[in-house]
Order: sequence, then C-alpha cells, then structure tokens
Amino acid sequence: MIVEIRDLRLILGGRPVLNGVDLTMRAGDIYGFLGPNGAGKSTTISVLAGLRPPASGKVEVLGRDPVAERTWIHRRIGVLSEQSGFYEWMAAAEYLKWFSGLSGKRLGEAEATLRLRRVGLDGRDRAPVGTYSRGMKQRLGLARALLNDPELLVLDEPTNGLDPRGRREIHDVLLEMSVNDGVGILICTHLLDDVDRLCTHLGILSKGKTVLEGSVAGLLAGRYAAARYRLRVPAPESAVTLPAGVRVASRSGEWWHVELSGAGDPAAAWRELLDSGLRIEEIHQEGGGLEELYLAATETREAV
Amino acid sequence: MNPAWWIARKESGEILVNGRGLAWLFALTVIMSVLSLLLVSNTELSLLDNAQVVYMVMGTITALGALFAVVLGADAVAGERERGSLMPLLLTSVTPSEIVSGKMGGQASGWTVMYLLGLPYLWAVGSSGQNLLQAIAYLALFGTLTVLGFGFFALGLSARFKSVRTALLTSLISWMLLASPLLLGPSLRQSAVGRGFDAANPFSSSLNAFDSVVIDSQPFSMQTGRLAVALAWFVLTAWYAVRGVRKMEL
Repeated sequence: MIVEIRDLRLILGGRPVLNGVDLTMRAGDIYGFLGPNGAGKSTTISVLAGLRPPASGKVEVLGRDPVAERTWIHRRIGVLSEQSGFYEWMAAAEYLKWFSGLSGKRLGEAEATLRLRRVGLDGRDRAPVGTYSRGMKQRLGLARALLNDPELLVLDEPTNGLDPRGRREIHDVLLEMSVNDGVGILICTHLLDDVDRLCTHLGILSKGKTVLEGSVAGLLAGRYAAARYRLRVPAPESAVTLPAGVRVASRSGEWWHVELSGAGDPAAAWRELLDSGLRIEEIHQEGGGLEELYLAATETREAV
Repeated sequence: MNPAWWIARKESGEILVNGRGLAWLFALTVIMSVLSLLLVSNTELSLLDNAQVVYMVMGTITALGALFAVVLGADAVAGERERGSLMPLLLTSVTPSEIVSGKMGGQASGWTVMYLLGLPYLWAVGSSGQNLLQAIAYLALFGTLTVLGFGFFALGLSARFKSVRTALLTSLISWMLLASPLLLGPSLRQSAVGRGFDAANPFSSSLNAFDSVVIDSQPFSMQTGRLAVALAWFVLTAWYAVRGVRKMEL
C-alpha cells in the first residue's frame, strides 16, 4: 500500500471536519477522490501530506506516519494543491530551478526546459510566471509537483483552467507515469470525465465521510450503477414492452432518456427493443455510469 | 546549498527585482534626499551643527529601515498564504526552521540595501564633521539590531495572522508607538515616563547611543547598557518569529 487511511477523523476550530475517511491506494493506481464542495477532500490531502495531525484514525503514506516523518514523505511525494500560488516575477525555468534547490537538487537549464516541455510549457520558460494564463500556471504547478520524481502524486483539481487539448495532454502524462513508472496518483476532481478517462479506483466523500470506495469497474458493476442513454425514437405505433433492466427515466419529444441497470448488456437491450418494433434512430450514452454512481452515493449521505 | 540560504536568496531577489520592493526603496530614497537637502541647507545657514545633522540622518535611516522591515516582515508568511504560495513551500522537504531562517535572511538583505542606500546621505551631511566613521559603524551595529528586530516582530505576527492587512497594521502600530521617542522633546524625555520609555525601548537605545557617540563623542564603553537593550530586542523578536513560523497553520 502506498496510502492507507482508516477511519480518519479531524476537528478544526472545535468543529468535526473529517468523520471517518477511508482511502487505500497501491502503486500504479490512479485514484479519483470525489465529493461535493466542502466535503473534506482538500483537508484529507493536507492530513495525508502531514500538514495537519489527525484527531484519530490510521494514516500511513508510503508505509510511514506523515506527521512524524513529514520531511521523509515530502521527498517522495508530489502535491499540486488547489491553492497553488507562484512567485510571479520569476521565469518558469528559474522557478523550477529554485524549487528544486530547496530539496538540495541542482536542476540545470536543459533539464528545467525538458521538464517544462513535458507538461506542455516549451517556448515560454523565460517569461515571468505573472504573464501566464491560468492553464499555464496549472501546468507549471504540475511540473513543480513532478520535480522530485515522486512515488505518489497528489493532484487537487489538476485540469482546472485547461482547454480540452491541454486536459488530454495532462491525462497522457499521468497515464504514462502510472503505467510505465508505477506512480500512484490521487486526483481530487469534480470532472467525472477525468475520472472516467484516468481512474482505476474511486473514493467518494460526503460531509467528511467516505461513502463509497473501490475499483471503478467493480463499483460500476455494483448496485449503484445504472448507465444512462439518450435514444432518438420516433413515436411508436403501439405500446412497447421494455426488456428487463431497461427503464425509461423521462421523455422529451422524440428523445427518450433510458437507464440500463449494471447487469444489463446494452447491445442485447437495443436488439430486443428493435425486435419489439421500436425504431431507434440514434443512441447516445449520457455521462456514463459514474454520474449515477456519484449522485446516488452523495444523495444517500444527504438523506442520512 | 542550504535551503534557508536558498529561501533568503529568493527573498532578496523579490526585493530587488519585484516592482513592489523597488517602489519601496525608491520612496525611501526620495524621503532621504529631501531630508538631506533640508539639513544641508540648515547646516550651511549655521542653524544646526554638523553632529546634530548626522544624528538626525542616522535616526531617520533607522526609522525608515524599520518601516521597510515591518512591511517586508508582515508580508513574509501571511502574504505567501494569501497568494497561495505558502502551501507549495510547506510541501517541500524544507523544515519550518529553515523557512524562518530564510525569511530572516531576506530581511537582512533588505536592511543591507537600505543601509547602503543611506551611506551617501550620511556622507553628504557628515563628511565635513568629526564623527562620520563612528556614525557609519554605530548605524551598522545599533541600526541592524533595531531594524531587524522590527522585521522579525512583523514576521512573527505574519505567521500568526491569516491576513497581511492585520499583520501589517499591528506591526505598524507597534512601530509608531516605539518610534515615538523620535518625536519626544528633551524635557519630556527627562520625565519619569520618558526615562522609563527610554530605558526599555530599542529605538531610544539606538538614538541615545547615536547621540552619545556622534554629538557628545563618548566612547563605546558608555554604550553597553544601550547595546544590551537593542540586543535583547533582537533576540526576543527572533525567538517570537521562530516560534510563530514553527506553529503556523495553513
């Protein structure tokens, strides 16, 4: 295990902020850490990074206590925090060299340029960071987090401010690190598309408590999973009997919003519908099962 | 290279490269230029003697240096927190002690620049007098202890307060209260309150030492009590800053 958090609790200003967070990661996992705003994701990251001591519970990062062995941990993890400020008067390459120097490592000009190129910042390494767009700063933050070639990378909203091409490039960098180097990556995000594309594992936090955790594939096959599809169906001439596992959630003109339970095979369901005389002209998947999974998990907690 | 040195280098760069640092230094030199011009004119008209003028310039450099140190100190931690650059720093393998040492190094650089900028003015008003070298040496000794003490005090406040504004206003209030001996007349300074204030105030210690050396030409042995006060101020504020940074929250 590179991260093991069990029943983590934290009180800040007399108010319980974390009430039982569980999180388990192995090397090479890409873990999507989801939850509504204020659920405690960033606070959990600060505990994981040893910046806040927990009130109770087990927290181990790379097999060690992050508070007691903070310096050791910080040499081996990279963190891109949500609030990631820069020294705006510095040039990007100078900034990376300075940060690297803090860990006693001298970064040469060529290596700084190479590292900037890796996150898509080539050609602007001499411009002051203050002239960068939000997306460029995000890339620079990622380059900073990767400076110590970490075993564990923690990214809080890593694709914030990036255009679709930029997001795709960052996804590729992360996938390469996970697959080729076995780096564990923890991603806090609100973008389910990021999770869908990258994550092998998932944890959902609501009101400071983990309400769902496991492999993405396992969870999607589980009880919360219900893939949503949008079908274009001209008005049927007679009543249609729906196959098992298929439910029409709503209709809007020719568009049917259909839910398919986790056990159902979409191809078989569409064939059965076509055989029953229904004319399906278009099929679009909506948000995948992840959205349903997320909404169901967070709604359950709200109801509690 | 030691991380503290690395941080101090960045802090110094911020003063000399960043627009805000340079703007402060520019404002301070404008004030010194105007003051020196007035004082030189007064000396030429024999309204003030040379030693008196040197003493006034030394006091002004110390007061302005302390003001500059307060501004730098108040921004040192709270400013980084507000701009979001504190978290990345805390996520490196640098210890809080190294962070505070680096920040203190930055303060020392700021004062060094300020001191060097002050020397031509000191020379301009004091080159025709007797005690210019003593003035330069005593400004280095007492000025450094007093000015850096103010910077460390502001740094300690900056680590404790979440907003730069609160840290800056509290530091400025303290600076103005302690710098008030500059405004006290001789008779008020002879009163019990004035004497008490003089005995415990690092600003007063420095000013009295400048007065004693530059105007009265007294030896170093007469300044040990005043040096002890300035040294105590320096050590106490350094301790306050170190403790604040070690205990700082995100």
